[in-house]
Amino acid sequence: MYRKLLYSISLLIIFHIASTQSQSYEDKRCKCICPSFKTVDNTTQEGTDRMLIIDNVPPNKCNCDGVILPRIAGKIKGKGQEICPRCDCKYENRNTTIIKVVVIIVIWIISLLVIYMLFLMCLDPLLNKRVKANYQEHTNEDVIIASDSISSKHATTSINGPSRHFRDSYRNKFSGSFDDTAVTVSNGQDMHVRENNVLNRVGHQQDKWKRQVREQRRNIYDRHTMLN
Amino acid sequence: MTDTSDDIPGIGQYDDFHTIDWQRDIARDRMRHRYIVKKRQDSFWDLLKGAHDAWSGWVCVLLVGLFTGCVAGVIDIGASWMTDLKFGICPQAFWLNREQCCWSSNETSFDSGNCSQWYAWSEIFTSSREGFGAYVISYFFYIMWAMLFALLAASLVRMFAPYACGSGIPEIKTILSGFIIRSYLGKWTLIIKSVGIMLSVSAGLSLGKEGPMVHIASCIGNILSYLFPKYGRNEAKKREILSAAAAAGVSVAFGAPIGGVLFSLEEVSYYFPLKTLWRSFFCALIAAFILRSINPFGNEHSVLFYVEYNKPWIFFELVPFIGLGIIGVSGTGLFRGKGLLNKCVYFHPQGFIATFFIKANLWWCRFRKYSKLGQYPVTEVLIVTFITAVIAYPNPYTRMNTSELIYLLFSQCGISNQDPLCDYNRNFTDVNSAIEIAAAGPGVHKAVWLLILALAMKLVMTIFTFGMKVPCGLFIPSLALGAITGRVVGIGMEQLAYNYPKIWIFSGECSTGDDCITPGLYAMVGAAAVLGGVTRMTVSLVVIMFELTGGVRYIVPLMAAAMASKWVGDALGRQGIYDAHIALNGYPFLDSKDEFQHTTLAADVMQPKRNETLAVITQDSMTVDDIETLLKETEHNGYPVVVSKENQYLVGFVLRRDLNLALANARRIIDGITGQSLVIFTSAQPVQNLGPSPLKLKKILDMAPITVTDQTPMETVVDMFRKLGLRQTLVTHNGRLLGVITKKDVLRHVKQMDNEDPNTVLFN
Repeated sequence: MYRKLLYSISLLIIFHIASTQSQSYEDKRCKCICPSFKTVDNTTQEGTDRMLIIDNVPPNKCNCDGVILPRIAGKIKGKGQEICPRCDCKYENRNTTIIKVVVIIVIWIISLLVIYMLFLMCLDPLLNKRVKANYQEHTNEDVIIASDSISSKHATTSINGPSRHFRDSYRNKFSGSFDDTAVTVSNGQDMHVRENNVLNRVGHQQDKWKRQVREQRRNIYDRHTMLN
Repeated sequence: MTDTSDDIPGIGQYDDFHTIDWQRDIARDRMRHRYIVKKRQDSFWDLLKGAHDAWSGWVCVLLVGLFTGCVAGVIDIGASWMTDLKFGICPQAFWLNREQCCWSSNETSFDSGNCSQWYAWSEIFTSSREGFGAYVISYFFYIMWAMLFALLAASLVRMFAPYACGSGIPEIKTILSGFIIRSYLGKWTLIIKSVGIMLSVSAGLSLGKEGPMVHIASCIGNILSYLFPKYGRNEAKKREILSAAAAAGVSVAFGAPIGGVLFSLEEVSYYFPLKTLWRSFFCALIAAFILRSINPFGNEHSVLFYVEYNKPWIFFELVPFIGLGIIGVSGTGLFRGKGLLNKCVYFHPQGFIATFFIKANLWWCRFRKYSKLGQYPVTEVLIVTFITAVIAYPNPYTRMNTSELIYLLFSQCGISNQDPLCDYNRNFTDVNSAIEIAAAGPGVHKAVWLLILALAMKLVMTIFTFGMKVPCGLFIPSLALGAITGRVVGIGMEQLAYNYPKIWIFSGECSTGDDCITPGLYAMVGAAAVLGGVTRMTVSLVVIMFELTGGVRYIVPLMAAAMASKWVGDALGRQGIYDAHIALNGYPFLDSKDEFQHTTLAADVMQPKRNETLAVITQDSMTVDDIETLLKETEHNGYPVVVSKENQYLVGFVLRRDLNLALANARRIIDGITGQSLVIFTSAQPVQNLGPSPLKLKKILDMAPITVTDQTPMETVVDMFRKLGLRQTLVTHNGRLLGVITKKDVLRHVKQMDNEDPNTVLFN
């Protein structure tokens, strides 16, 4: 979405540019600021704006003689030495490659995050609905459990191996211990099929992360216990 | 002697939202260190491991500095690019912002930063830069881009890392004092906070990125500490790295390494031994060096507000400087009703800034917490951004980036400054000679009015912005408020000196016609005063300010303003904004700055109260079932272990989490453990061998808990909690166990004694 906008705008710009002047994007410059000519010569036709002169010269030439006098030689008519003390020259350096790399990285990261966010908001619930229909026993993490007795019964039906899960004990106040280990409990047969799948492990991590984020969201946005 | 008891997994770690036990962690680290030192002579490999252990602290801190510098460079470049995206684009090189796009164009016009290579949005769609249509289109695009950035920021925070919202400094203060908030310093929080702060700053909201930089640096510190088990597995040691990381965060945010170290010492850290001082210094130095070599601003300074002038100030100016210091913090009299000061302050038109800001912001945060507004966070962000953008665009001083505004206010009017603020009736003769004092032209008057409007607008918007559910900081807005106030006062003083050069206060320096009053200096002092009034920093503030500006000559005025601000603030006894937010959120933070002055005794505070019984575990007469019932029926985080129920002589203290884990582990792994097995906390062999085999849990028992007697004054107990970092202490009477005092009890008691609501202390 963001990139499409950028592309369309750049297309528009290309149509507007009739002739490309020679654009300069160097990394070094000598920047000189001078007052207007009226301060030295009352008869000149120039305006009263200050002058800004930028040129690409080595640092030892970044002074009045090297930069300003060549530029304004025609207009100055011999008053060059008077305007020189009023001018201020500075040599500056930058690195456009770093800027380019960083900006492109930032655009990439934001695009990836936006795409992932859209995926989680729109496509993930659709995918999960189909998968969840296969489970016969299904627990809803959002239900707040009052006691541990139910949990100990369910824990014994979990399977050994990389997909072993422990029941987390939710309590309605903060004084309890909050185990943020994963929770999904399901029927035995389906688990065996998916057990050693790498995708299963990734999905398990993603579920755990989603649960953590949901808990954070509940703390901050709903219960307002933190970060007010 | 073995390493930490890892046979039971999870022992030694802490639950979420719990307080750590500093003593236990420090003891574990000492044991581990002794083990490594003893084994050093065994083999070359062990010698290497010993050396690695010794330098792992420095290596960790070096890596933290490196990554912090890199991330800060990325954020600076990204934010400055996105900010200018609201105004236009550079077609050939879309990655350059306006200043960089026009950097090397060799045109000789001086059109306030615009050049032919940079296309404003109005120029793209209507091919012109002036005119009403162009203004409307620019306005529209400004608002649209601002809303887009704010929407992205708020939704990313909500979707991926809700912990990334807010400033982060109150929570980091609490974490460094010994609290655990899992995932608060994790990798998702790091990514979303970095991206979010870039987007929030670019949206034109009235916030800064310094507080979030501290959070980002602490995330980096936390993540990298897991590479070194010495720090990753030990919560107390990890906080040394986090203190150093916080120093690096401020160092890259301001380009002030020493100020960063002092900020970490003064504001953020709880314990700050000398070792942490060296490490923080090193970390801040590395981070500043990396940022400087990335050179984001193209002028070899990692500092935004580098001022190059070195004009002297006259002695009388200390009076307005101290006045600015008092303005920065005063206004509390109005709210506390303290008689004469009340009346004086009420009529002072500027006596409202810092404390007013704190009170108003707290009121709004409380309103947001308890009302329906808190249920629509993303909508709130969008509405605030819309209002900010609509009001900010017409005024040129609010349209520009706040950092640019501060730079403008700090800088001296010279030949390269073309802003109306510098519209004096001057003749520039020689750039090397002194600037003469001159009457203010009409541009200055208009600029002053616009600045006062900007001050009001920024104050109001920052009150509503700080605390929103996007990453936000408040150093830059406070500096801006103070800088505007200071500059206006400075211009007033300057015109006073011009119109009445003969009065005694200006005699000498100002009568020669040279410029003796520098309004830029007043802006600096005002900025320091307001920031000091809001955050209550003192030494770190002065050091940050003079590192920010390079004006070493101005340390004395800055110190004068900071001291005035601090004295007035302390006399009226108000909290800084971070402490106020800690209190608002109910974090269990025991402030080491306040003194406990009441005469209560330990017996008044301990649990259990009079009509309850103390829940204890006996050392060898309880079964597994008994203990599980006890764990289920009570909610305490730990239980004292006594010899027997009849004579309650203290044996030790055991934590709930450790008991849970040990019992679960025993049931799973050890054969023969049933509900009737005895639980033994001693090392003596039990006599009978009938029945199921006993369960030995001496390993999880802490045999050296800190105890006090019931007649110990609470001043001493609070002092012990602060200095030793205790989590609980046991109360004995005549050698027998009487009760337990936990940190939460102490916090509640302190609040009760201060006549505040003790139920606002949440968590454990």
